[in-house]
Amino acid sequence: MRVTKYVITSSESDILPSDIAMKIYGSKYDVSVKETCFGVIVNGEEKEIEALVKDIRAMDPSGIFIKDRGFPPGDPRRCRGRRGGGARPGFYMIESESKMLPMISRALASDAEAPAIPEKKKPIQMKKLEEIVKEELS
Amino acid sequence: MIRIAQLSCGAEYSGIQKEIERAAETVGATIIFPEVSLEDILSVEKTFGVSVASGDLNMAMARAVRIVQNPDLADAVIVMTCFRCAEAAIIRSEIRKFIHEHSRIPVLSYSFTERTTAETLLTRMEALVTTVKYRGLLARERQKGLTAGVDSGSTTTKAVVMRDNEVVGTGWVPTTEVIKSAEDAYEAALKQAGVRREEIQALGVTGYGRFLVGKHFEAKLVQEEITVNSKGAVFLADSQAGPATVIDIGGMDNKAISVQDGIPGGFTMGGICAGASGRFLELTARRLGVDITELGKLALRGNYQNVTMNSYCIVFGTQSLVNSLSMGCKPEDVAMAACHSVAEQVYEQQLQEVEVKEPVIMVGGTSLIEGLPKAMEQLLKVKVLVPKHAQYIGAVGAALLVSGLLED
Amino acid sequence: MAKVIVYPPTSMILSDLVERMGHKALVVPEAVRTLVTAEGIESPPLNVTPEEPKKGLHYAAVDVPSGVRGRMALIGPLIEEAEAAIIVKDPGWLTGCAGCSRTNELVRLLIRTKGIPVLDLAYPTDDAEARVFVQNIKKFLEGLK
Repeated sequence: MRVTKYVITSSESDILPSDIAMKIYGSKYDVSVKETCFGVIVNGEEKEIEALVKDIRAMDPSGIFIKDRGFPPGDPRRCRGRRGGGARPGFYMIESESKMLPMISRALASDAEAPAIPEKKKPIQMKKLEEIVKEELS
Repeated sequence: MIRIAQLSCGAEYSGIQKEIERAAETVGATIIFPEVSLEDILSVEKTFGVSVASGDLNMAMARAVRIVQNPDLADAVIVMTCFRCAEAAIIRSEIRKFIHEHSRIPVLSYSFTERTTAETLLTRMEALVTTVKYRGLLARERQKGLTAGVDSGSTTTKAVVMRDNEVVGTGWVPTTEVIKSAEDAYEAALKQAGVRREEIQALGVTGYGRFLVGKHFEAKLVQEEITVNSKGAVFLADSQAGPATVIDIGGMDNKAISVQDGIPGGFTMGGICAGASGRFLELTARRLGVDITELGKLALRGNYQNVTMNSYCIVFGTQSLVNSLSMGCKPEDVAMAACHSVAEQVYEQQLQEVEVKEPVIMVGGTSLIEGLPKAMEQLLKVKVLVPKHAQYIGAVGAALLVSGLLED
Repeated sequence: MAKVIVYPPTSMILSDLVERMGHKALVVPEAVRTLVTAEGIESPPLNVTPEEPKKGLHYAAVDVPSGVRGRMALIGPLIEEAEAAIIVKDPGWLTGCAGCSRTNELVRLLIRTKGIPVLDLAYPTDDAEARVFVQNIKKFLEGLK
């Protein structure tokens, strides 16, 4: 079965989408590649894509991320040029998560123990609030 | 090509996106999706006034904001969300109001199920496109020359002949065979007007049977009933300038249209329940043993609150009415309860989807059942106008509009 | 290797972390792929037809909106297949397959009531939280058979 995957680079990675595309062009894999602003889209037989993805990950293990995609690249059913404009809905999620990738990359690259996270602030006690109100309004 | 912006939630997952696009294509329009950024979606509370838990609704609101900021992006808007979703119903209504208040782009609001087909959407889409395409024609305020209109409805067929802005002949027959009924109604109108068919300069047709009848008469104008009826209504009620609301409760469906300067700005069309149609009143009249023309007068003497109705349904609701009679309720109370039931369902399901601005004009055959406009007045708490010739509204609208196509 | 469903079911970060740590991530794009590559169906864009909301009746009653039932036809089978789950608190920017909050609520409910191991997280907002996020996922996945 042919599958499609996004290869998305963290904005802090030294690897550019064009580097990934070049690597694929020069590889033994018979897959199609489409460069995008956030990475590349690869399409091919499932086994080949699985092997290829491993190779691409190795270029920057903590800076490259992989996501499944339902539609083949450039599918007219999802192409904004042919469908009256508007990004496909999933694009906004990739955009949102992409903003977090540098943090995730650094976390993946770090061997340090996870720090203790201070508990989120809770609303103050009613009694304390009453005191403040009295103080402020006096 | 008319560009209809789709602001929706759930259409793709209900399996009806293709149907929406097919309906648009049939009426010569194309569906577009205004570009918005992630930032636009995230800041929708600031720009639109609210954000909700469902991201696709936030996206629809962000698109509405974009259209209002750039009215050249689209010629018309459809706001569509899943039937039975409360979150979406609130937002759908707010988007419609937002666009209505901040632009002059016509809006169609609709809630769909997986059973919605292109055919269901066709009349609505056709009306939307007409309001964009024929704005000039719809702005026509006077009928000129000698023209005729035929309204081939599901229950009755109506025809009028108009001369120099006056209705000079009318015809009204129950719809049996579509073409034969149209012939009979048209013939009656011609006879009353005292003119021969060859003298008519142009004929316009509307209603369910418009395509068949239009072809038969080689009509110059074949037009859906939403634009035609709203035009006919404001013409007959002498309310062509400014806002108006047109309510048309038909034999098979009902329409609520908000009109501005004679042109529909937003509308809904319901057709699922017979309990919100003229059929319900016909059935009540039969049960009460009175002629349908007498039901309205009877209802005016009654009080709906004396009758308990448990359902709007044409089967179970009518059963409630029959039970009331057997328990000693007066026929006039039952007649008014039937009128109230139909009006209330239209009020709950249709009138929430349009801007109700005065004057409120009720048209169509059912508007002559006096109890019905009365019940609507009680619900809306505003005066409801029923113009002269209200039952011929579609035919008058068609005769008026087609006169705009005559050579000067 | 365990089959792990992630929420949001379209998350790149979660599916990547699951897969890079040697497990199988169950994600919506796989269900979309099955639909869009199916032969003989022409219902663009997703090839969802009125049949999907009907299949969704398996998860929700007929008075639940068609958009919820249509989405459930895609996501429901993934929940059935799942052996573990990672749920990230709704971040407020989910769209498309995850763009309906009623569906999302039902998805989370069905995952939680299935009786499989569930890891609850929130998206990180800084480096410290990101490290906890990644390490919690790692620990959780290592604990799965």
